[in-house]
Amino acid sequence: MTATHTPSTVPRPSPPTGVRRRRALIALALVIGGAWSLTGLDITLARVLGAPADVWDIFKQLWPPAMDEALDRGVVGKVFESVYIAWIGTIIGAILSLPLAFLAATNVAPRWIRIPVRQLFNAIRAVPELIVAVIFIPITGLGPWAGTLAIGLHSVGTLGKWATEAIEGVDTGPLEAIEATGGRWVSGMRWGILPQIMPIVASFWLFRFEINVRASAVLGMIGAGGVGAELVSQLMFRNFPAVGAVLGITVLVVLTIDTMSATVRRRIIAGAARTSGPDLDADRNAEALADLTGFRR
Amino acid sequence: MIRFEDVSVTYRGGVQALRGLDLTIEDGEFIVIVGLSGAGKSTLLRALNGLVPATGGSITVDDTEVVGASAAELRTLRSQIGMIFQTFNLVNRTSVLNNVLMGRLGTVPAWRSTLGLWPADDRERAMQALERVGIVEKAYVRASNLSGGQQQRVGIARALVQEPSVMLADEPVASLDPVTSRQVMSDLQRINRDLGITTIVNLHYLDLAREFGSRLVGLRDGVLVFDGDIADVDDDTFMEIYGRAIRDDDLVGAEDDLT
Amino acid sequence: MSEGGIARPVRPRPRLRTLGITAGLLAFTVFAAREVKFAISTFWEVWKNPLWEKFWPVPWDWVLDRSNVIDPFVETFQIAILATIIGCGLALPISFAMSRLTTPNRPTYLVTRSVMNVVRAVPDLFWAKLLVTAVGIGAFAGTWALSVFSLAVMVKLFSETIDNADPRPLEAARATGSRHLPAIRIGVLPTVLPEYVAYALYVFELNIRASIVLGLVGAGGIGRVLEAQRQFFRFDRVLGMLIIVFVVVFVIEQVSVAIRKRLV
Repeated sequence: MTATHTPSTVPRPSPPTGVRRRRALIALALVIGGAWSLTGLDITLARVLGAPADVWDIFKQLWPPAMDEALDRGVVGKVFESVYIAWIGTIIGAILSLPLAFLAATNVAPRWIRIPVRQLFNAIRAVPELIVAVIFIPITGLGPWAGTLAIGLHSVGTLGKWATEAIEGVDTGPLEAIEATGGRWVSGMRWGILPQIMPIVASFWLFRFEINVRASAVLGMIGAGGVGAELVSQLMFRNFPAVGAVLGITVLVVLTIDTMSATVRRRIIAGAARTSGPDLDADRNAEALADLTGFRR
Repeated sequence: MIRFEDVSVTYRGGVQALRGLDLTIEDGEFIVIVGLSGAGKSTLLRALNGLVPATGGSITVDDTEVVGASAAELRTLRSQIGMIFQTFNLVNRTSVLNNVLMGRLGTVPAWRSTLGLWPADDRERAMQALERVGIVEKAYVRASNLSGGQQQRVGIARALVQEPSVMLADEPVASLDPVTSRQVMSDLQRINRDLGITTIVNLHYLDLAREFGSRLVGLRDGVLVFDGDIADVDDDTFMEIYGRAIRDDDLVGAEDDLT
Repeated sequence: MSEGGIARPVRPRPRLRTLGITAGLLAFTVFAAREVKFAISTFWEVWKNPLWEKFWPVPWDWVLDRSNVIDPFVETFQIAILATIIGCGLALPISFAMSRLTTPNRPTYLVTRSVMNVVRAVPDLFWAKLLVTAVGIGAFAGTWALSVFSLAVMVKLFSETIDNADPRPLEAARATGSRHLPAIRIGVLPTVLPEYVAYALYVFELNIRASIVLGLVGAGGIGRVLEAQRQFFRFDRVLGMLIIVFVVVFVIEQVSVAIRKRLV
């Protein structure tokens, strides 16, 4: 092309420098931050290079899992205990959060009640259920009930927030119609709003249940019932084949529940008109995912 | 020279997009392909550069067989064939220059392009391509900040920078208004004449086809139903290709708003 | 009654299947409630517990002393920074491998996807505990554990973003005869990079929060101090630390949310 090219009369622009400088700054910040953290944590090259071997040493002992031993010790029962904790915890969270959500939604609640309820949701979401359990254990004693309470209370935060968003996304026409007939606020909520949000809210409950199954497994590690305690004690005895069995059974149950719950959720959502926008969904997905993996918002 | 011999394309769902197509295109020709949507125009172009694999027959570009070519052979072939798309297919969040440099992906070593270390002469080629389509001043602007007509020119520059021997344009003006459509078509025509690049354009608009084409190919339900000089084409020919009378929306018109 | 001559419809009876499912769920709930030793009285009796007095007053002198809370908190930051860099760095190539749009081939897609699913199915503190057992108690294990989970979160979020990215520039890149990797780098990466940065910031937020609990299983950071004070029943100190932690987390979240809003 160079041969046939005729020079253009328009001057060529010069490349902008802003982008490059910004990229360099970000890279520099990452390097400095990383270096500062490495030195602060006393992470030496020797440790970094040695760690994969240490980890592999343990991971390879997880297989084959000692299934017989695990079954004898009632690990399956422990996993189910985690599921029960999650189930009852979710129900407690659902019952507490639904009325509160109506008090937090911009389109149906007055300002003076809305603000404190929203802040309550935020505060609850900020405290991990593990911390809630830490506080509850001395009061209720060790065992599944402490874990159930912790999960129930923590669930109020996310379930309340999601339900609020669902309420804010509804068509207020029916509500207006009920007000026009002289209905009370409560009847407006019950007959105007609730039927619209119920499918999506039910699917949130199921979603939260999936999250809570993982959470309750973890709670067992500090003695709040369920499979976590089993993992801790087997790790303490360095009985790795048994650890492998505990992990395997947990993963199996978790994935089974995820699949079942996701199927039901899809059917619920497909059978109902969508009540919230897609951007909300993306946000919630990110948040719930964080919860799924144990990180709380 | 491009030669289609008894080419057929059947999609996985069982839809037959092309049936027994025979077509020979000489170097430097400017060919317009018309037909209703779904007639197989896009499939024909994409079969030529292997984006859609032909399920039967033989397609040769110069002496390269496209049907059954290996991945490496296809890459070499594609690097010699420029393609322009109906929806421009630009990367919106990056600069015009980076979009044009995409045209060099087939020749620049993978590690260099991946790291963004484009050779200086490739940058020079990209600048020249932008000058040729008249938007060099936009080189460092984000592609999403351009108008539709400007975006399509970036698309043309991206194809030009490949220094191709063949240029494929898939409905290049379907997303543009009449005035811009004519500009883009005349850009293509000029490039065809100046650089002698074989150009194959899919068009829906019959008046544009008449205005800019020299040879016309008509497709109907995946079958070639017309192939001849544009001068011999009259309304009956279009009737035959479209299977119905010509309507207003088959014409880009002069000042009509078609956005 | 017969006005208009049309009989009124009979109220539809709930279907047998619906009844069955309801009864089943109810029975499961009752059974589960018994298993977890459900006691509704806890909800009012809990407030009468004398233990609550141990939460107050907060010993601010102790909490604000450098070596007690600040230093472990800095350690938490360092863990979070490293884990974010490692996890998000690894997530970049893996996400592209496990997105339908950009995966090099089907086996890679299936393998990465199922491995990441299993990684995510293991609860986070299980990982932390495993790694503590493997490499010893302390921040090193915590960094490992958080890196694994930064990776798991990031890969899930980012690969879905790639799935939904515009496929047309990629087609254009392929049409120029590009190899797979440069086509992704030029055709897809620029369109998803802002989301990547936003998610990385988000993951950093999560890592700071997660490190509160990491210490409970011996994986370093502020949680280690939390666990120690809990075992001494110094709930006043625990409360003070939690307040500090939540203030800092809140500030980080606000900054991060502001940046993320500008990015996407």
